[in-house]
Parts: sequence; C-alpha cells; structure tokens
Amino acid sequence: MNLFISRDELIRWLDQLLRERILLAPARVQGLTLFQPVSKVEEVTLDFGNTTLSPKEWFLPPTETLFSMQGNDGHPQLVPSTIEKDAVIFGLRPCDAKGIALMDGPFLQEPADALYQERRARTTLIGLSCRQVQPECFCTSVGSAPDDPSHVDIMLTEIENGYIVQVITEKGKALLPEGLTESKEELPPPPELQDVPVKEVTRAVREFFDNPYWEQLADRCLHCNICAYVCPTCYCFDVRDYPNKGNLERVRSWDSCQSTGFTRIAGGYDPRATKEARLRQRFSHKLLYFPEEFQDIACVGCGRCVKSCPVNIDIREVMSDLQQLEAKSGS
Amino acid sequence: MDSELIQQIRNQARDLLESGTVKGVIGYERASDGLTARPFFAYEPAAVERLIFDETCSHNLARYLVDKKNEKMAVVVKPCDSRAINLLLNEEQIKRDMVFVIGVTCPGVVETSWNHKDEELQARCKTCQLVEPPVYDFLAKGEAVERPQGEPYLDVQQMETKPIAERKDFWSEQFDRCIRCYACRQVCPGCYCPECFVEQLNPLWVGIRIAPKENELWQIMRAFHLAGRCIGCDECERVCPVDIPLSLLNRKLEKNVKELFDFQAGLNPEEQPPLATFKKEEKLGFEE
Repeated sequence: MNLFISRDELIRWLDQLLRERILLAPARVQGLTLFQPVSKVEEVTLDFGNTTLSPKEWFLPPTETLFSMQGNDGHPQLVPSTIEKDAVIFGLRPCDAKGIALMDGPFLQEPADALYQERRARTTLIGLSCRQVQPECFCTSVGSAPDDPSHVDIMLTEIENGYIVQVITEKGKALLPEGLTESKEELPPPPELQDVPVKEVTRAVREFFDNPYWEQLADRCLHCNICAYVCPTCYCFDVRDYPNKGNLERVRSWDSCQSTGFTRIAGGYDPRATKEARLRQRFSHKLLYFPEEFQDIACVGCGRCVKSCPVNIDIREVMSDLQQLEAKSGS
Repeated sequence: MDSELIQQIRNQARDLLESGTVKGVIGYERASDGLTARPFFAYEPAAVERLIFDETCSHNLARYLVDKKNEKMAVVVKPCDSRAINLLLNEEQIKRDMVFVIGVTCPGVVETSWNHKDEELQARCKTCQLVEPPVYDFLAKGEAVERPQGEPYLDVQQMETKPIAERKDFWSEQFDRCIRCYACRQVCPGCYCPECFVEQLNPLWVGIRIAPKENELWQIMRAFHLAGRCIGCDECERVCPVDIPLSLLNRKLEKNVKELFDFQAGLNPEEQPPLATFKKEEKLGFEE
C-alpha cells in the first residue's frame, strides 16, 4: 500500500526533520545544485535533473579526520572521530542510491570502515524518482531505473498535487509523519531511457588489457580527477598524518587513479606510470575488478562523468568500443 | 560551420601525414553529443576526415604538445591558443622543429558543455583583437570576421574598487567549493611541472585536505605561478566542475603585469617574460 503526502505536508515534514537532524538536500549554490545541509526548507530545490556532485560525499567526505593522537606526555591516546547527529538525505535519485549501495561493498565488508559504517547506520535515505531523464542518463542499462526504490528507505514520486510515498524499510517507516493517507493514484510509468549495452563489457575489458585502444583514448585524456570526484561509486582515498595544535591527526582525503603518483611506491617505482595505464585502470576497476569482487559493475548510469569530462571521455562510448572490439575478435 | 576552412585544415593534415612530415595531427572532432567538439589525434591520412572546426572548438590543443614533445606533431590552433606555443617555446618545453602549427583565423568560440552550446561568444572572444595566430606554419583562412571592441578588464576593474574584506569573502566563497580535482592545472598549457608544488612532500607546501585553507593556498599559488605566463585561453574556467571564476583571478595578474612591464605572454617567442628576467634599472617598489 502506497501513501500520499501533499506539498504542504512535505514542507512541514522537512521542517520538522531539519530541526531534529542534519538534513541534506539538493540546494542551489552559485548556479550549481549540490547536496547541502539545509537550515531552512526554502533552501531545498526540487527543480533539478541531478546534482553536480554525488551524495557520496556524505559517507566519504572529500576530507575527514579519522582519529587524532592526543597528549605529549609519552602516553598518546588515540581519539577516534565521532558522528554528532543523525542525518536524512532527501531527494536522492535512484542512481545515486544504488551508488551508495555499491560503496557498501568495499566499506562494510569486514573489517568495516568505522566512520562510514556509523554514518550509514545513522542516515535515512529519502529517494525521489525521476519523472524526467537527462540526455546523459543511462541507469536502466546498468541495473537501475528512474523509479527504482530498492536502495532507499522511503521513495517519493511526484504526481500532480503531491507525492506518492513508498515505505521501503522499517527505518523509513520510523521517520514518516503521522496521519498520511493511502494514495488513491497508481505509480506513474517511468520515463524511457537510451539503451547502452553492457552485457559483454567485463569480458571485453579483461581481454583487451593490452589493446592499443587505451593509448589512443589516453591521448586526449587530461588526467584530471573530475570523473572520479563526480562519480557516485569512485571511492579511492589517500591517508596522511598532520600535526594540529600539539596533536597529530590522521586525515583521509579523496584521491583518484588518474593522479600521477597514485600508485607510486617506496623507491619511486610506479606500476601505472603511463597515461594509458591510469586511464585503463579507471575502466578496469569499474567494469572488471569491482564486478569480480562485488558482482555488479561500478557504474550506475548517472552520466555525471559524461557531462563533466572536459574532453568528452564518454563511458558509454568506451563500453561500446570495447564490446565492438570483442565482437570483431570473435568473428 | 565554415566548410571551406575545414577543408583547408583536412588537406593540410592529410599532406603532412602522407608525406610523413609529422607523426600525428592534433585537431578537433565532433563529440559524443553530436553538437560540440573534442580533441582528436589523427595518425592516419584517412582519419583527417574526422577533423572539424567551428564555434564549439574551445579547447586549447597546444597543451598536448608537452605530452608529445618527442614526436613531431601538427596542431590546430586558434590565435589565442597559439600564444601557448610561444610560451612553451620561450620556456624551452617544446622545440620549434618538432611542431607544425596549423593556425586558423578565428571567428570566436562559444561557451559549451556536453550537449549544450551557447549562442553568444565567450567573454574573452568579445575583447580579443587577434585575427591571426602570432605563430603558424600554415594558416587556414575562414570568412572575415569583424572584431568586437570591448574592454578586457571591466570585471577586474569592478572587483578592484571593492573593499579588501569583500574581495576576500568573495574568493573564500569561491575556493570553498573547490574539490581539488586539478582539472584547471591539467588543462593549462602553462602547468607542465613534472612535480607540482601541491604534490611535493619535501618541502610540504599544501597538505591533502580538500578544505577551505588548503583550497585557497592551492588556488592562489597556482595563480601566482601563472602571473605573466597565463595566455588567457580561459580553459581552466571552462573545465572547472564547480564553476570557480578563475579567469577573473588570472586576468587580474595579467593586468598587473601589463601595467608594470607592458608585457603579455605568448605574443612573441623571443621576448623574455618579466618574471624570468631582471634589469638593474627596474624599480622594485620597496626602495622608498
């Protein structure tokens, strides 16, 4: 049974949520739409295709202190960072929700990442299904859909006078306001999307590890970190220790396989010293290594990298090229 | 799209590849959106049919010459982009005989992003006075274009009139959004250091935190490294995923260098940039 929430009820609910918890919602920041902690409901925007950056930054922040070492009397103590408040992410698109579910693989397998695990446990996800899709979207090709409720706690779908509410988990049920009535309307059909074939892509990446294709593609790649940083499933990071007011902090920040030196080891050797080796790694991780370990490709079809790449390295095109190479070599 | 101009580029590229004069030609092809352009490397004569040129060709392809410095390459450049070739020649990053410059007379380019192009010219094109590239081996001539007459530093002048605190707040707000993806550096023809200061460990200039203080240090140090060297292609601003107005910062420094030394980078490969030279008679400003 689906419920119904009117626009006014939704505003009152969000207003109540942001008083009790951290409410992250799509908000306009200088012409961009980003997931931001909001202090007033008016800051929330619902007029967006998808946000410029993905909501992964709530679970894996661009920078965080993992713990600090305090006391300089010869007996330093490790003080782990703590999470202050419960949070709600509102307005999560199904592709991004799947991105979080995929990140759970590496972060929650034993030994689980303590900060990620706590944030995940203390955050409730309110999804918002896509009534319109963007030209860069291809979620249906990679196992999701514009109305896929499988990775959120509550799913909202906009209809003419409000939203249909699907309660997916107990956690979601606990968050809902009292007194919502049953929805009289059925869920509308999801919008159609372009089809990007991915069936043979894992095999193709394995087979064409040494193909000159990578060198050609790497010619135009700038090796910036945009694709990795806008991606809802890229999760690589760097860890360093820094002094801070007499203590020592262990800091974790985003990093990316496209950076020079990402794989440089003591002694200076870098197994991925070339541009093509680094670019191949991005696609190999998403399309081969991740599925080998976690049974799904690490791409949710949000199209952010397609949209943001300054030189149009288009993952849909790369997947198609590789599968064509595969088809040609097989014939 | 000026098909005659494109034909000139393709013919020249084909000749160069067929004769073996160059190993490859760096130009533009249509992007996956079917609307805008992306860089393209042609290594076979047949591939030149993919080359295009139109108002969406914003990328400064001279940046790739540093990656290919050991192979003789041809590169398609707009007048603004060609200034980067002069910069790289002057700073001895590339050799003149390893580059064949296919210059194009430029009608100006528009702001683009994937699957989107503006109608209007980019701000920098509205004040650009360069009709022909200051350096080329072959010039592909397009239809004659009337040059607009605009003041290139209007926004910089406006900013200069604001109180320091207000300027500081403005830039803090901009840099707070920075995610340190380094796209600004990677796309920049002037950023070719094998090891960037931001990644140096000894001495440690900037840590790995993606946070306001570190972002600011990164952005300001990069801007200063480009003072008197930035050739104004604005590629850094185009590629920034969080829309930081980097051109405003770069043009402030460009304006200062122009006022102090009457110098603009990349117009002449023989002229030493002011911050790379020292003249005894120069006033340093702290004598009095």
